[in-house]
Amino acid sequence: MTKKKRSINIFFKRLLKWYLPTVILICGIMLVYCWYLSIQIDKRFSGRRWSIPSKVYSDTTILYPGQKTNRTLFNEKLRRLGYREVAHRPVDKGELNRSASSIQLYLHDFIVPSRYKEGIPVQIRFGENRIESITNLNTGQLLPILELEPEEVMLFFGPHRERRQLVSIDQVSQHVIYAVLAAEDRRFYTHKGLDPKGILRAVYTNLRHASIRQGGSTITQQLAKNYFLTSKRTFIRKLKELFMSVTIEVMYEKNEILEIYLNEIYLGQKASEAINGIGEASFFYFGKSVSNLSLVEAATLAGLIRGPNHYSPYIDKDRCQKRRDMVLNAMVEQGWISDEELKMALPLPVEAVGYASYGKKAPYFMDYLSEQLTVLYSPQDLSSLGLSIYTTLDTQVQMAAENALRTGLDSLEKSNPELYRTDPQKQLQGAVIVMQPKTGYVLAMVGGRNYSASQFNRITQAQRQPGSAFKPFVYLSGLDKFTPASILSNESRIYEIDGKEWIPQNYEPMPEESVRMRNALARSINLATVDLAMQVGIDQIISEVGKFGFSTPLKPYPSIALGSFEVIPLELARAYCPFAADGVLSYPLALKEVLDENDIVMERRYMSIKQVTTPEKAFIMSSLLQSVVENGTANSLKKMGVAFPVAAKTGTTNDYRDAWFVGYTPDILALIWVGFDDGASIYASGSKAALPIWAGLVNALPQYVSGGWFRMPPGVVKQVVCSESGQLAVEDSCPHPIEEYFLADHVPIDHCAIHGDGDSFGRIIDGLKGFINKF
Amino acid sequence: MGLKVLLINFKMVIVTFIFGFSMVLSGCAPAVMKPSPEVYRETPREADEFEENAEKPGLSPRALAALQLTEQGRMFLENNQPDDAIGILERALNLNPNNGRNYYYLAEAWLMKWNVGQAAEFNRLAEIYLKDDSEWRYRVRLQRERIKEQNQ
Repeated sequence: MTKKKRSINIFFKRLLKWYLPTVILICGIMLVYCWYLSIQIDKRFSGRRWSIPSKVYSDTTILYPGQKTNRTLFNEKLRRLGYREVAHRPVDKGELNRSASSIQLYLHDFIVPSRYKEGIPVQIRFGENRIESITNLNTGQLLPILELEPEEVMLFFGPHRERRQLVSIDQVSQHVIYAVLAAEDRRFYTHKGLDPKGILRAVYTNLRHASIRQGGSTITQQLAKNYFLTSKRTFIRKLKELFMSVTIEVMYEKNEILEIYLNEIYLGQKASEAINGIGEASFFYFGKSVSNLSLVEAATLAGLIRGPNHYSPYIDKDRCQKRRDMVLNAMVEQGWISDEELKMALPLPVEAVGYASYGKKAPYFMDYLSEQLTVLYSPQDLSSLGLSIYTTLDTQVQMAAENALRTGLDSLEKSNPELYRTDPQKQLQGAVIVMQPKTGYVLAMVGGRNYSASQFNRITQAQRQPGSAFKPFVYLSGLDKFTPASILSNESRIYEIDGKEWIPQNYEPMPEESVRMRNALARSINLATVDLAMQVGIDQIISEVGKFGFSTPLKPYPSIALGSFEVIPLELARAYCPFAADGVLSYPLALKEVLDENDIVMERRYMSIKQVTTPEKAFIMSSLLQSVVENGTANSLKKMGVAFPVAAKTGTTNDYRDAWFVGYTPDILALIWVGFDDGASIYASGSKAALPIWAGLVNALPQYVSGGWFRMPPGVVKQVVCSESGQLAVEDSCPHPIEEYFLADHVPIDHCAIHGDGDSFGRIIDGLKGFINKF
Repeated sequence: MGLKVLLINFKMVIVTFIFGFSMVLSGCAPAVMKPSPEVYRETPREADEFEENAEKPGLSPRALAALQLTEQGRMFLENNQPDDAIGILERALNLNPNNGRNYYYLAEAWLMKWNVGQAAEFNRLAEIYLKDDSEWRYRVRLQRERIKEQNQ
């Protein structure tokens, strides 16, 4: 055996003895590691891949010809819905063309429970603050009704504050895929997770330009890094990334990997919220779904992956365009687009739709809603399950309520500088709730003046004395014994409560010794109201009021008649609803539906009603409360532009601690409260402090004003009575006969005792004349 | 001619009789009095005729729009989708609270969901708003009977 042969033998022997087992061992370890990784990957990918914040939506907006509109609020609404102005007739969804008398709008598609609405181009013509017509621009057909999509009002974020809309690979157009591959990984469909050619090419390009121009990571590597690893640049991390990439490639199809990648990538920032995934990004940058992106838009998005904020069109359009053009050129190099397509694309500017970075909308409403949601879902579920939560909120009403409250409180402070406080925690406060009385829908809620200064919700959490705003419930309790024409005493009396004397007084001195019930409520006369309450019985009042859903305790004291017991403003607003709803009390409804991420309904809430008084009494109460506006404490409403029929009640508590105004029509009910949290005086009554806020609110919402009034139920009778006696009027005798409503079984049968004893002969002649005229 | 004379004589007899009888009774019985025609309208005005008409289905654009929703709600009911029907009908109700059909269909939807209490409430409201429509009044009555049956 030669020396050479011997050394070969020794080499092979050593190889067999040491190297081969070592290699086999290393391979084995790698395989075990990959197997371990595959378990980790499977665990992550087979479960929920992303935490998707649940979204809260407002109600849809209904438009119809003849509807009065507030153009300012309507335009704001369209802007918030993401419609973007164009100079031409809208051709893409989300485009809007405005002229003085009309709006052309290409509606977005939208899904609400059980309904999918495909966007169509429409023209809305306006005339004198009304919608004149709505036309489908595709067919020329006039539309009797149009529904605008719900508005996103809040997201339940997790700790990372990521926005993401998932898309399937089938929804992503081919040029989006090509653009992403051209920008990030041209050989994605041919490599096995690693691309040595790509790495060499990146090294060469970077050396040639003496700067980092290209990265060598494949899409699979990026996915492994983003999904499982940190962004630390260490050798171990890189090694893990390689193993993971290979494992992912073995476990999943290419399209599956690409889909996960497209949903995962970080693509920008909207204020404090991260934009993740191509689905969310296409809406954020271009206001459209990923399936509708054009070639240049696709290339722009693909270009962002390298540095979303560096190349953002919202930060530097030129830089963004250069990067986009690089992507387009890379697509041509790969033969994915033609030279002609490139030639057409390059001159096009980068046009992003813009976005409004806003704070929390309707924050008090959202807190109220969140309380209800957290009974159903944990905070973790809300921030990860991607639920769609539909509410009754009308953002136009919400804006109007916030504006009216701000204007009203500012104006009060200007008129009386004593009300001004520098400390935001102690400043003059106010609260507004707007409801639809028939259904209990809560359209808007403003629980305070400044949410960032105070999150205390004065609509749902405060307990305040209602003062005269409570009186309607006393009058309602009296309708079984008394009529609106009944005469009440206006004389001062002493009442004893727990051994102490209580002497109620009127708001201002009044010479009359007696007053009709309608006038007593219209003018909010305390003495007459206490007289009524004592005749009706305090226990009877408490029993009646108990049906209206107050949760705060009411004690059997005569002062209850003047609203001396605290109530929660939301419950007071709710308690007024039956007057406007045929005696039916509805539960305040804020949450309507919850859908999961596949649009399957998980939770539904409906209007829930219960009869608490008769339609006849409700009608009479509305009529009595209309007198408050016609000739009572709220008659200043007419001077403030409220020319349609309204039922309302003012309220002021001792030392002017609280000012209230509750007003309603058949369509809408709003409650306003003004006061200080610490109970300091505001030196103004309900009609001075709260009423103007109500007027400002309702004047901004012409779409909620039909101008109609309640239908008189069959059990109500209209009769002419003497204003002084409340009994049937006698012709030519009673100096001030009036028309009055009565419950059918409470119509007066006696004629006026004050003026009816006079000329009996004349009455006989009158009677005869009438009888003869029948023949 | 003869008939006219006879009628005048009959009127005279009646006048004389009533006059005499009244003279006797006027001191002890309340006189028949008619309300004064000149009335000070202190009670608030009702909706005027235009407003009344505007609220009738088929006339006002608002009512027309609400009817579209009512129709959608009815279709959901026909397809045995009471949950979807309720959502739409509530919107219709908010738009036009005076359309009694919304209450009728809401009662139907709640009947489908076996909630007799809510069905009865809405049926009662339908009865109020559809009282002037004989056909609908009949349907409301039949519905009430069905509610009673389901309640048993």
